[in-house]
Amino acid sequence: MSDPTQRRGDDWWRHLILWVAIALAVFPPLYVITAAFNADQTLSGTSLLPRSFTLENFKGLFVQKEGGAEVFFVRWFRASVIIAVLNAFFTVFIGALSAYAFSRFRFRGRRMGMLFLLLIQMFPGLLNLVAIYLIVLRTGEVVPALGLNKLTALLLVYLSGAMSINLWLMKGFFDSIPSELDESARVDGATPAQIFWGVILPLAVPVLSVVGMFAFVGTLNEFMTASVLLETVDNFTLPLGLQAYISTNFEENWGSFAAGVLIAQIPAIIGFIFVQKYIIAGLTQGSVKG
Amino acid sequence: MAQVKFENVDKVFDNGVKAVSNMSLEVRDGEFLVLVGPSGCGKTTALRMVAGLEAISSGTVSIGDTVVNNLSSKDRDIAMVFQNYALYPHLSVADNIAFGLRLRKEPKEKINKQVEWAATMLDLVPYLNRRPKELSGGQRQRVAMGRAIVREPKVFLMDEPLSNLDAKLRVQMRAEIANLQKQLGTTTIYVTHDQVEAMTMGDRVAVMSMGVLQQVAEPQVLYDAPANIFVAGFIGTPPMNMFEATVEKDGDYLALTLAGARFPLAKDRDWRYPRLSQYAGRKIVVGIRAEDVHAAEAKPGWPSVVGRLGLMEALGSSQMGYLNIDATKVAVATQPKAPDDTTTNAKPAKGAPAPRPEDLHTEAASSFVTNLVAIFPPRLPLKLNTDVRITIDTANIHFFDADSGEALR
Ligand SMILES: Nc1ncnc2c1ncn2[C@@H]1O[C@H](COP(=O)(O)OP(=O)(O)O)[C@@H](O)[C@H]1O
Ligand SMILES: [Mg+2]
Repeated sequence: MSDPTQRRGDDWWRHLILWVAIALAVFPPLYVITAAFNADQTLSGTSLLPRSFTLENFKGLFVQKEGGAEVFFVRWFRASVIIAVLNAFFTVFIGALSAYAFSRFRFRGRRMGMLFLLLIQMFPGLLNLVAIYLIVLRTGEVVPALGLNKLTALLLVYLSGAMSINLWLMKGFFDSIPSELDESARVDGATPAQIFWGVILPLAVPVLSVVGMFAFVGTLNEFMTASVLLETVDNFTLPLGLQAYISTNFEENWGSFAAGVLIAQIPAIIGFIFVQKYIIAGLTQGSVKG
Repeated sequence: MAQVKFENVDKVFDNGVKAVSNMSLEVRDGEFLVLVGPSGCGKTTALRMVAGLEAISSGTVSIGDTVVNNLSSKDRDIAMVFQNYALYPHLSVADNIAFGLRLRKEPKEKINKQVEWAATMLDLVPYLNRRPKELSGGQRQRVAMGRAIVREPKVFLMDEPLSNLDAKLRVQMRAEIANLQKQLGTTTIYVTHDQVEAMTMGDRVAVMSMGVLQQVAEPQVLYDAPANIFVAGFIGTPPMNMFEATVEKDGDYLALTLAGARFPLAKDRDWRYPRLSQYAGRKIVVGIRAEDVHAAEAKPGWPSVVGRLGLMEALGSSQMGYLNIDATKVAVATQPKAPDDTTTNAKPAKGAPAPRPEDLHTEAASSFVTNLVAIFPPRLPLKLNTDVRITIDTANIHFFDADSGEALR
């Protein structure tokens, strides 16, 4: 029907857009990669094609400096990974428990509760920052472990941050798991807790992986809240610490910064590889025939 | 060893729907009782109240000698097979079957023994390591059965377990489930909307309509002596023909007047329908099974009526004739649509006058408006859109009160 040459003529601009988009997406990481392997520490000295090749930037991250007890980079890295793992775990765990209740139990205020959570989520997170700062400040006066400059306080704030959207996501998925499965388990003799652990959770692995993954990566990269709550270099998370490399304290060390950013991506990449195999559609396939 | 007893059970849902009204029923120990009725009549709700999945609004349900109203599902010692099987997709067939036993912390050897026993019984041994999604519909159905029998509960509850299977498999599984139940001797309540399933499987059949139990009896009794118009129209394929008619005293005898003809009724009519004589001169509803309608020439000397033949279906061993006679059809409000009943959508509703024969000539489409189904012998030469003279064997016809719908017994 349609003339193939005509089609090709129509198509060229789409290819152009595609290539521009690819270039825009690839350029920044490429730039960082070059900077990481470049001997020249200044930003202006870096170009897309490195003039020299060195691993010094990477080595430098792990070398003790300024007589500190520990290498800061390792410390930040560890803090970030721990807090990200904990946040992912508790987000999934608490979220799944509440989503199960919202999905399966009928109680007063159930609908209102869900709506309320949605409303909260609509409030821009940035506006909360002032309030969060004050809350953490005051809490710290009573419970020092949850005060300013404490990673535990940061973890709590992270946990509250995306809970309602995650809850909605998980509840939606739980709703799609046929209730006959619960009922069948109930008749077989399962308690609600056994149904949750033995039936619902195994079937919800895809959504739990997605939620957990986003919580994990989101925490690894989070800068704003951390910068408000954390004060001293030894308590920094990785994004804060990396920023310190290019702030004046660390004399605009762009090479170290770029190398640090590359290493910082490793946990996220490992996470994605790990979770990918769980994000498969049709896990509930075959349970019920409808 | 357990009978199941409903005593004046009501179920009203939060939204005000009264799904089950004043249901009283005793399922005997070891009995296979089929609960049948059209879709939405409350069968599932009744079953779920026994299972403990639905609260009982009033009345009591007991299993054995225990009132179970306030017992949780797991303490009722029942097993349920769901319409859509409800297999756990993340577990193998063996684990699906063992699920209930594991929850009850049975010893490992016992679990293995029981699973093997159930799998052997249901021909599932080769599939024990498969996941449900790797099984055919019939195999999934069997796994669901296996999960129920492995625990050796007091009562089986089955909610339309065959409705997702194709017709041929359904017939096969029908026999298998009935056999299995006979072997195990476990009290069973089986819910279905399919009256053929009910008739072929049940020791007794309980017919329900709009939340109300209509009749509980052995299958043949339901067919031979329906308690009311609903049961008469629901049980049997094709459905019973029902018309408004009158009976009159004719000396010692009663006579039925239908479509202008007078059919004398044998005297023993008084025995099967003793109240009939009180209705002399009044309007009643008469029910005639398709097999009791005959071509007039086969029964010389019998009174006959004329019907226009709107549709013929040759089944080989017999032919079904759909005719229109000059009488007002009585349709059961919730009459289910028989899958092979092509005239269903053309049937006039209750109370609607039958179209007069003149109308049939003028409108091609209305030639399909029929109000009587007859089973004729094969190879009887009958022509579509012609008048056929038919007669009725009055030995097995049924009589109902025109207002209450109750049989005049
Ligand atoms: N959870 C519920 N809430 C409100 N009404 C319901 C509920 N479940 C069933 N019903 C209503 O109760 C009636 C009986 O339903 P059901 O027992 O499922 O019928 P059946 O199994 O005979 O098809 C129907 O009118 C249905 O709409
Ligand atoms: Mg049902």
